[in-house]
Amino acid sequence: MKKHVLFALLASSVAVTPALAHYGMIIPNDPMISQEDGRSLSLTMSFSHPFELDGMMLEKPVAFTVTHEGTTTELLGSLQDATVMEDQGFTLDYPLERPGTYIFAMEPTPYWEPAEDAFIVHYTKTYVTAYGDDEGWDTELGLKTEIVPLSKPFGLWEHNVFQGIVKMDGEPVPYAEVEVEFFNDGAGATVPDELMITQTVKADADGVFTYAAPSDGWWGFAALNTADYTLPQDGEDKAVELGAVIWVHFEEWTGQ
Amino acid sequence: MGLASLFAAAPLAAAAHQLVVFASVDCEVVTVEAKFSNGRVAQTGEVRVLDGENALMTTLPLGSDGMARVPLTSVDHSSGLVIEVDTGGHDNYWIVTPEDIARKCGS
Repeated sequence: MKKHVLFALLASSVAVTPALAHYGMIIPNDPMISQEDGRSLSLTMSFSHPFELDGMMLEKPVAFTVTHEGTTTELLGSLQDATVMEDQGFTLDYPLERPGTYIFAMEPTPYWEPAEDAFIVHYTKTYVTAYGDDEGWDTELGLKTEIVPLSKPFGLWEHNVFQGIVKMDGEPVPYAEVEVEFFNDGAGATVPDELMITQTVKADADGVFTYAAPSDGWWGFAALNTADYTLPQDGEDKAVELGAVIWVHFEEWTGQ
Repeated sequence: MGLASLFAAAPLAAAAHQLVVFASVDCEVVTVEAKFSNGRVAQTGEVRVLDGENALMTTLPLGSDGMARVPLTSVDHSSGLVIEVDTGGHDNYWIVTPEDIARKCGS
């Protein structure tokens, strides 16, 4: 009897404290816009647990930019309020005037996470190519922390590997931990164990990590490090988790 | 003519994806740009300008800067334009829709 009670308590404990990873998200309607697709792009921004499709409040970001052909433009004022995964998010329609790679980046307002007794700041970015021109796909934005792609961050087949360098203040982060999670929108993916909702890989001594996606769809990569500064909360200095997040779309293999 | 109709009339160029062709337009001129996917400018080639029904209207050489300019007054652009660039080994196209022109003309 005692054993049954213990199992029930354990099950209850697990149920209310799943190991959910937080992700800033910038998801375009298409990562590769051709001229047949039109002349603009639709983006959806959120803060969520993407595998469980569990949204969280995304406050107005500190910055939201697009970088194209070496020029960065602030788009914060163009964001539209939206409900994403049943919580506050944003959308943006953006005209694509020229070919090339457009890199959309978001610096969110620090998110206070009581469960972790820390703030979370995920510098999030997504690369979109327009009109058959992929020049600029490996652009480094110079964010506080970011994943610089070594694989083209679009046009990947499912099962391809994605490689990137984790950087902090422009320098590679040796053995950085990178969390990987699938945006389970419409896919109905399930896991045999909650440990597999978020997978984890480590970078090598040069900050380079590798991951092979098992299916097509959007995959988020988050390299997490603790900031060298704190932020105040309830009269105390609290740690800040800095995330370098990149979203990469893998395409369904069309061969037999 | 809408974008979908123009694309239906456009030639197939799926085998020539290594050449990137783009054309921007204002109220006076269509500016054609051609470069290879490695970023190198296409220095020679032929530019063919077709109407929305795929009828050839004019041809002109690609400049050594990978560009060509087509005055709007020199072509009937009412049904849109199909801009083909052929470098000999590679070719591709860009479609200028009536909406592209109207948008730049402020109408």
